[in-house]
Amino acid sequence: MLMHRRMFAALYSLLLVVLLGGSSQAIPAFSRQYGTSCSTCHVDFPKLNDFGKAFKDAGFKFPKDDESFIKIPPVLLGAPANKELFPHSIWPGSIPGVPPIGLRYNHFFQVVSANRNNFNLQNTTGDPALNQFIPRTDFQTGLFSIFTAGNFGSDIAFWVDDDFSVGGANSNGGLGDGYLKFVNVGRFLKLPTDALSLRFGQFELDLPFSQARSWNLSGWDIYDQPNIGSSSKNVNNAFALANAAQGVEISGGHQYRGYHYSLAIVNQNTGGTPGSGGNVPAVVGYTSDSNFKDLYGRFSYRFNLERDPASRSEIQAAGATGPRDHTYLSLGTLYFYGRSVQRFQGQDASNTPVVITAREPFYRVGGDFSFNYHALNFFGQFLYGRDQNLLPLVPTGTPLQLPIGFTPGSAAHFSGGFLEADYLVYPWMMTIMRWDRVNSAADFLNGIGADQNSFAAPFLSPVSTVRNRITPGIQFLIHANIKTSFEYQIRPKQVVYAPGTSTTLTSPFRTNSAVAGLEFVY
Amino acid sequence: MSRIYLVAILVSAMCLAANAGTISGKVSGVSGESVVYVDVIQGKTFPAPGDHPLIDQKGLMFTPHITVVQVGTTVDFLNSDSVAHNVFWTSVGGNKKLTHNLGTWPKGEKRSFKFDNPGAVPLLCNVHPEMAGYIVVAPTPYFATTDKSGAYKIENVPDGSYALTAWHEGAKGQSKPVTVAGDSKADFTLTK
Repeated sequence: MLMHRRMFAALYSLLLVVLLGGSSQAIPAFSRQYGTSCSTCHVDFPKLNDFGKAFKDAGFKFPKDDESFIKIPPVLLGAPANKELFPHSIWPGSIPGVPPIGLRYNHFFQVVSANRNNFNLQNTTGDPALNQFIPRTDFQTGLFSIFTAGNFGSDIAFWVDDDFSVGGANSNGGLGDGYLKFVNVGRFLKLPTDALSLRFGQFELDLPFSQARSWNLSGWDIYDQPNIGSSSKNVNNAFALANAAQGVEISGGHQYRGYHYSLAIVNQNTGGTPGSGGNVPAVVGYTSDSNFKDLYGRFSYRFNLERDPASRSEIQAAGATGPRDHTYLSLGTLYFYGRSVQRFQGQDASNTPVVITAREPFYRVGGDFSFNYHALNFFGQFLYGRDQNLLPLVPTGTPLQLPIGFTPGSAAHFSGGFLEADYLVYPWMMTIMRWDRVNSAADFLNGIGADQNSFAAPFLSPVSTVRNRITPGIQFLIHANIKTSFEYQIRPKQVVYAPGTSTTLTSPFRTNSAVAGLEFVY
Repeated sequence: MSRIYLVAILVSAMCLAANAGTISGKVSGVSGESVVYVDVIQGKTFPAPGDHPLIDQKGLMFTPHITVVQVGTTVDFLNSDSVAHNVFWTSVGGNKKLTHNLGTWPKGEKRSFKFDNPGAVPLLCNVHPEMAGYIVVAPTPYFATTDKSGAYKIENVPDGSYALTAWHEGAKGQSKPVTVAGDSKADFTLTK
């Protein structure tokens, strides 16, 4: 029962992410500040072109001669000459001349296939309250969000985004990213330009392809994949790579050529329950649920493939009719190491009830590539996840029948990834073809065991350990800041089982869905 | 003998000067700079000027925003920005067959193009779609741009009857006949 609730929670979250999390963010604040179009930095917002990547790398600034491009001068928070007085003056900085605010709203329309309510077959109680009802069609309000970003001078960049409302409800979206980034601090150590930057705050891990700022209507499945063990395992790790992380990151290099790396130390919280304590009240609260801090690392190298060496090193390649993104091949790898924590009621050697803690190390390792040739971008990600599985050790003959510790069991693991091809037919039209794949034996087994009192959502019960999703799509820019997107999800095959058994009640079916989104930023 | 030629030339020049007038007036209905020029004069050609006007791409803008040249003029395009730029136009005088793309060049370098066809040339950059500039290629050397009040003045126009055209980037162009005999007046009210 507990396992089903966990599974339901995880997959319901996944569904919400799919429906609402097509996070697309372009930055109108930059458009206003520099007097330039979204398409200076974006191919099909929020997908960055090479210049946008360089702009981001530089700390939300033009990589060269930034001052000459700013149409609205920043407000100085101290004359530059104050640097001479330091430490007897505050180091002079600046704030953008206009509030660097961007707003975003999106709206969806969804059509779901006729078998969407098949899981009601599991309800043999006759209680209508247990039945789900998913409408065939639905208009769905998405996100209304604010985001602010810019540069405070001295190469200190900032970003904060927050959802005012999600699905029409008030302020339950919460904070997305919120961080300060000290760009190119390696200059103090005589390191090459942009070799070292520091970031503090809450941020999306430096994923090869940003889920938080994905241009797709639905996120990539593998980035939202938790590792919830089957009932024979004692693994309950809700961590997913797309989760926001709180911590510190050092990074360097460039996204538009050469090497790029990121190393981060972030909070550990795989259970979803924040730490708390009355005797040591926190200033604002605790996010971690253990002492351990997780580690994330990523390294990538991008080969620009133009024949002309001078063109290869530029931010954008010089095409016959104008600058364009490079023809390139980027290869990368990522590694995440954490330690999932579960606490249980146990007993000590004297049969006294105590709290015992299972600390289960886990890792995610992956590789990625991205190949770009003119208007075609083909890219993919592979990811493997493994969680150590510590089974409760309950000695026989003790009166409490509570575990005294843990014994290693077979690890819980999953794998998968995605391949995607984006083709820019016109500057305002992009076609997309995606293949998402997740291989998780636990997800399969958890789906089998659904019972008549706890089956509450569709998309729960894959027909095998492998879930494949094919997602063609097309997106149109009505203006540079208004986009309409269409996506058809050929979803994984699933099957409905009789409650508590492995007897199937249906033939394998796919609950496909078509989604249209309308989004604008301003 | 040479003195006779010299006197004849001077007299001719004085006669021409005496027969050259001024067209002045006001362009209303629009804000910002307009261009007014004498349209094609049948049977008359004018030598192309040797000067190369310069259009700079600086701060993600074409500077100047509007350049007026005579047919046959070569215009130089400079990139002063540290970002890549491109210059292209989709038509000349509305003729889409005259579309042209000058390509890309780095900071500090120039490219040139000779404009042999009259009409307005909308300049664009395919990297920064907000960038806009105009070249108005006038078929005669008789042209002027308006000041802030919309007033213009074209000097040294030989006496005669011509078609006078007013152009503004956000309005429909307008032509009207004008007879020049000394100082002449011609006002325009442009509409979008």
